[in-house]
Amino acid sequence: MNPPVASPCINVCRMDEQTGLCAGCLRTLDEIASWGQASNARRLEILQHVEQRRLASTLAEGGVA
Amino acid sequence: MWSSAGWPRRSRKAALPDRAAPRLPPSIRVIERGWLSANNIVLFDGEEASLVDSGYVAHAPQTLALVREVLQERTLARLLNTHVHSDHVGGNAALAREFGCEIRVPSGSVEALSAWNEDALLLSSADQRGERFAFDALIAPGERWEMGGLEWRAWSAPGHDMDALVFYCEQARLLISGDALWQDGFGILFVELLGEDWDRGKGLAGVRQTLDMIGSLAIDVVIPGHGPAFEDVEAALERAYGRLRAFEEDPARIARNALRGCLTFAMMDLRRMPLADLPDYLARVPLFREANARFLQMGSGALADWLVRDLVRSGALRVEGDWLLAPDSQQRHQLHQLRTGGGFSAPLGGGGGT
Repeated sequence: MNPPVASPCINVCRMDEQTGLCAGCLRTLDEIASWGQASNARRLEILQHVEQRRLASTLAEGGVA
Repeated sequence: MWSSAGWPRRSRKAALPDRAAPRLPPSIRVIERGWLSANNIVLFDGEEASLVDSGYVAHAPQTLALVREVLQERTLARLLNTHVHSDHVGGNAALAREFGCEIRVPSGSVEALSAWNEDALLLSSADQRGERFAFDALIAPGERWEMGGLEWRAWSAPGHDMDALVFYCEQARLLISGDALWQDGFGILFVELLGEDWDRGKGLAGVRQTLDMIGSLAIDVVIPGHGPAFEDVEAALERAYGRLRAFEEDPARIARNALRGCLTFAMMDLRRMPLADLPDYLARVPLFREANARFLQMGSGALADWLVRDLVRSGALRVEGDWLLAPDSQQRHQLHQLRTGGGFSAPLGGGGGT
């Protein structure tokens, strides 16, 4: 078994009703619920999604997008 | 029931090469978040389900949504708690309101719960929050029941909480360990810090009894209260015994471990605190005050300085200007590590957490 990719959870754990994402880790409910049993490949895929969402929200907030 | 649970004992080695967690019977799902909320373990029985532990109260709305997501069309029939600390029972009230589920708690906690004794429940005494809930039944050590198509037995697991239980399934060689055994350590020994004089040593003795008991069980996979499920029980026990010996040899370590873990935990909840407020906070909240008075006898300023230095170095907290903050960029850090070839590590290793 490979070393597990660690969870992006930062203990905020509150869903944002507008985005449908956790306000802390920017994951969907399904991504959070399935993390425990997810493969490392799936975990990295989720982390990439999170990074894209973070970038998008940063751009939106900055008015650049 | 055992075979229908489909435990893939023989095929484990042939699983996906990038498997991150031990394989569990398909009737069991573990919802793992960070440290503030204990793992939520969902076990399916046809159209019904059971849940073990409900997380921290601040996370309760998300816990409901996650449990609903996992249940799909099933109903939540019952909720069981390994012990009654805030990070394990914080969602009890909300889950009972939402699903009308029955709540079962360890029999030893009946008095503290019935009176909602906020000191005994480590709420006021540790600056943690909770919501009062009504329980329907008690779980006594030795009791057996079925969930997830498997038979479980409760074992007494004193130490972190003197009334804690672990749930063991002999046929699937599974242990739901609560905070009695983690992959790296076990929960804080509160009784040594807040207990009466005649309770001194009971936490340490309890841990030894609990580790010996767990060592006597045949276990393939442990689902702990915090952190991922793990397979190497021997190694986990060895680390836990090592920590226990260190505590026995130098009891001040119990206090230092508790102070680190409890401040990290409190900051996950509070998110931010003016650095200047920390000495007063440590002098005011009984857990910090008592741990320091009994074992360390440091001035509150020096204690605050040590804690901040120590926890910032380990990455458990960070400082920005005049503020003490909970980490909020774990994920960026990870991606950076990934890109630079660094490894991944748990945010709160060792004996931290509550």
